[in-house]
Amino acid sequence: MSESNELLWRCGRCDEALEKKKTVFSYLGRSFTHEVDVCPKCGAVLIPRELAEGRMAEVEEQLEDK
Amino acid sequence: MKLGKTESVCPVCLRRIPAERVARGGDVFLEKSCPEHGAFSVIVWRGGLGEEFDKWRSYTPPDGDNGSKCPTGCGLCAGHLNKTCCALVEITRRCNLRCPVCFANGGTDAPEPSVAELYKIFKKLAAAGNTFVQLSGGEPTVRDDLPEIVAAARRAGCDTVQLNSNGIRLGSDPDFTAALADAGLSFVFMQFDGMSDNSYIYLRDSQLITEKIKAIDICSRFNLGVTLVPTLVPRVNIKEIGDIIDFAVSRSPAVRGVHFQPVSYFGRYPFPPADDDRITLPEVLQQIEIQTGGKFKLRDFNPSSCDHPCCGFHGDFVVLPRGRIMKLTKKYNPDACCADDSHLKNRAFVARRWTRPANDTSAAAPTDEKSDYRDMSTFLSRVKSHGFTISAMAFQDAWTLDLERLRRCSLHVSDGARVVPFCARYVTGSAPIQL
Repeated sequence: MSESNELLWRCGRCDEALEKKKTVFSYLGRSFTHEVDVCPKCGAVLIPRELAEGRMAEVEEQLEDK
Repeated sequence: MKLGKTESVCPVCLRRIPAERVARGGDVFLEKSCPEHGAFSVIVWRGGLGEEFDKWRSYTPPDGDNGSKCPTGCGLCAGHLNKTCCALVEITRRCNLRCPVCFANGGTDAPEPSVAELYKIFKKLAAAGNTFVQLSGGEPTVRDDLPEIVAAARRAGCDTVQLNSNGIRLGSDPDFTAALADAGLSFVFMQFDGMSDNSYIYLRDSQLITEKIKAIDICSRFNLGVTLVPTLVPRVNIKEIGDIIDFAVSRSPAVRGVHFQPVSYFGRYPFPPADDDRITLPEVLQQIEIQTGGKFKLRDFNPSSCDHPCCGFHGDFVVLPRGRIMKLTKKYNPDACCADDSHLKNRAFVARRWTRPANDTSAAAPTDEKSDYRDMSTFLSRVKSHGFTISAMAFQDAWTLDLERLRRCSLHVSDGARVVPFCARYVTGSAPIQL
């Protein structure tokens, strides 16, 4: 991936502008959807740090068993 | 068929004696013999769960598990295998009920620790990393200074403060309940034996269902989560298991879950028990599935991982609009029960599910039937506001006490000087003696 500016990302492999798309994430035995930037050509997904450390981490915490 | 050896106590004199688990016709009995008082056999696991039983019983004690001081030297000794998850602190022996069944034999006028003395206990617990306390009794709400006690626990560094209560004062004295919430109470663990007055008359000698519902409403007004705690007694309220769960689901998010406690015979009870006076964990699970029409199934539950697997179970859920249920319980991992941090995981799990969010967003959370609960944000909002647990704990009495189980206990009672496993603290013999 390469960054053209703070708001627009392009796919490093295809040089396509990423598009917002609802994407399925599977972990800890469950599937969740979230809208993230996706390359329209190869399907590569950009997971921003704030998502990984924010909501995704929160979901993981909520699914943590006792 | 013999399943394995363990140790127990004589139900009469409480001396430590060898014991054996014996399977007969799909049931499991604990059998033991006291040189002075004779042989004893008691049901501990009725009705096979098939392969599920093997899974639950797969626990193997670690090498060197001798617990040589068990159970009289509890405090804890080096033979104890789990750390403290929750520390229970008795703040009074008084009670506003006189229940025929009471593990704590409450209702007496023993001297009570002052707020300053309790603060020292909380401080000592917190310094040892025990930041989850249960305020218990007797009935803690008979103390007018309970809000100060809650505040003292929080000030001492206890970040989760649970109140064990019959709920009577919580429902009848809203100002008092508001003061508890303001002081930092986390949630209420409320005695709740059924939906009919008959269950309360038998167990509590009073008609209480109206008071219980009022207590839930008042706690909800001040954003205090309530977990319902039924004591299950054969021929009294077993048939109400499904109704209790249905009611709890209908009162989500005010009600955070149901925690079943099969009756144990210690403290005060009407008569020494026969086997048909007991209900065991697999029976509770089977009744949950049958009485909820399969809404909750056996596979939705896992054995305790923070205590011995035969001491309890839990299931993790989210209540969706119109009472639909999302199931979160993952496949059981037997290794988790021996993990060194299982007490911390359990503490975090319980606090997460039983505490209502500080700024409850449930009103703003999507409640439309068409909402997509697979969407990460929608799920997060709903699981925080409407997380729901069904759990159970089978306390051990002088007949059922299995020292292998006792050494895995993580629910401990603090007297300020030491912490003692719950069942070791409260076990009483058929004669009125205590360890």
